[in-house]
Amino acid sequence: MTVLLAINGVTKRFGGVAALREVTFEVAEGEILGVIGPNGAGKTTLLDCISGVVRPDAGTITFGAHEIGHERPHRIARLGVGRTFQIVKPFTSMTVRENAAVGALFGASRLPPARAFAVADEVLERVGMAAKASQPVASLTIPDRKRLEVARALATRPRLLLLDEVMAGLNPVEMDEALEMVRSVHRSGVTIVLIEHVMRVVVGVCRRVVVLHFGEMLAEGAPDDVLRDPRVIEAYLGEKYAKKLLATTGERDG
Amino acid sequence: MEQVQVPPPPSPPGTAPAPRARVNGGRLRRPLLIVFLLAVLLVLLAPLTTTDQADSLGVPVLVDRSQIRILTTVAMFVVMASGWNLVGGLTGYGSFGNVAFFGLGAYTCAVAVDVHRLHLPMAAGIAFAPLVPAAFAALVGLALLRLRGHYFAIATLGTAVAVGEVVKNVDYLGGATGLFPPILHSADLLFLYLMVGAALLAVIVSRLILRSRFGYGLIAIRENEEAASVIGVNTTAYKVGAFTVAAALTGLAGGVFAVWNSFINQELGFSLDFNIQMILMAVLGGAGTLFGPVLGVIVLEFLLQNVAGRSDVAVYAQIGLGLLLAVTVIFVPRGIVDFFGGSSRLSLAHLRRALRETSA
Repeated sequence: MTVLLAINGVTKRFGGVAALREVTFEVAEGEILGVIGPNGAGKTTLLDCISGVVRPDAGTITFGAHEIGHERPHRIARLGVGRTFQIVKPFTSMTVRENAAVGALFGASRLPPARAFAVADEVLERVGMAAKASQPVASLTIPDRKRLEVARALATRPRLLLLDEVMAGLNPVEMDEALEMVRSVHRSGVTIVLIEHVMRVVVGVCRRVVVLHFGEMLAEGAPDDVLRDPRVIEAYLGEKYAKKLLATTGERDG
Repeated sequence: MEQVQVPPPPSPPGTAPAPRARVNGGRLRRPLLIVFLLAVLLVLLAPLTTTDQADSLGVPVLVDRSQIRILTTVAMFVVMASGWNLVGGLTGYGSFGNVAFFGLGAYTCAVAVDVHRLHLPMAAGIAFAPLVPAAFAALVGLALLRLRGHYFAIATLGTAVAVGEVVKNVDYLGGATGLFPPILHSADLLFLYLMVGAALLAVIVSRLILRSRFGYGLIAIRENEEAASVIGVNTTAYKVGAFTVAAALTGLAGGVFAVWNSFINQELGFSLDFNIQMILMAVLGGAGTLFGPVLGVIVLEFLLQNVAGRSDVAVYAQIGLGLLLAVTVIFVPRGIVDFFGGSSRLSLAHLRRALRETSA
């Protein structure tokens, strides 16, 4: 197992609040890792640290052979880290195709403009947006905007793709499509770290998950095991319900 | 001019053609081509029809001296509005201090050619003019371009005013009196061609930028700076780069202005009128597009010359200009070019469609 991304003791404070505290885990090349946790657990801050949008106060982040904890975002993108934003950030005056092409002009691809548009068509096909290539972004629905985020990130030819809640707000059919999209991106050899609230997604595509709670690592392991962990249940549902739930499952088990 | 009009190079076989970015103001080539050809014709005819020559040849005066001055002014504002457009339109950083580059360029050239100072030939003065403003922009840009929106606007305005005040208080730069580059007699046409050359350069540079990775990076910064940075755009370098190119172009216009006008002082070089006019022109014509600023310059300069220049209506003209800007920003936010090539309700395409539907 080659380690592609190693997070070691990463801490990030915003004023008096520790958004991340001593977070440590590794992501193997070719893995899909899920990051889960209640609201405000520090999941997005973690992606911000990896992609260089914010700088960690302590700890190291190693991508391949590079220490990226204190690199600027464009350097990290050039090394092969792509990301999407939970609140989509499209380039609104451009068409769908241009949005994807800009990704191919930069990042690890850095293609000349003529070839960037060919790559744009290719990634739009992969995320199922080829038919909407010439549309302005303003006309897109939320699920399509999320697909476009993925397409633009993919166009940079990342080795590691960070997905921030790409399934939130999708209906069951759209979610199945999105799941298939994530699987297909993974099959093409991209390592994925995804933040998700929808457990069906986490269980469906991740072999391993990391649970964050108030900025700390609560648990790490296979989704089924982690979701049965009393501490995780407590973090999500509160102490009272966790006890109740454990009591009932305990009875059934016994 | 023709050089600006050539279609994009054909894509290599097997790849889909790169579409014209909408930000380039796609389908307005034909009307603009006509405007440009007329302008070219006027410039080419100019030497045949100055007052003296018209007299000796016995042809009617088509372009007199005052009109040559107006044409030169138009070309000068094309340079400034196009330069501003790279920062304010393309990158989305509304600078209110670009006149500092004009002033620095003008003073650089004036110092270079002044008989009591460097006493260099005029060509050298003009060649040096873009360098000082470009270096200045690269330096202050690193700090200023960390600000956004109105903070950036105020900071750039403050910088421009401050530079002007400093220049006014340096004796070597002529102090409050200013500098007097040598007067060249009967050189109206020379300066017209120099300024038109600078305008061409500004449009060509803008076009090259718009179609390049650099241009797409700048637009990405305008649309969403954080998203631009995580796909790999070196936002600091790109913003400072755009600021520096704008400064070099604006400085070039300033340099030519200094020798053309053969007088430069703080009020002229760092004129707040010029400062506002170049922004108005770019916004009125269509910020972020290639030809928008050019069109804006022509329209606004026409209005200024024919309406605001007349003393009896000048007061109303000022109000009218303000109204015009307000109406433009509210109803045609993409500027006049949008009327020719845009998709808004006030565009030609929309009107045509509406007409077709009502007649059917």
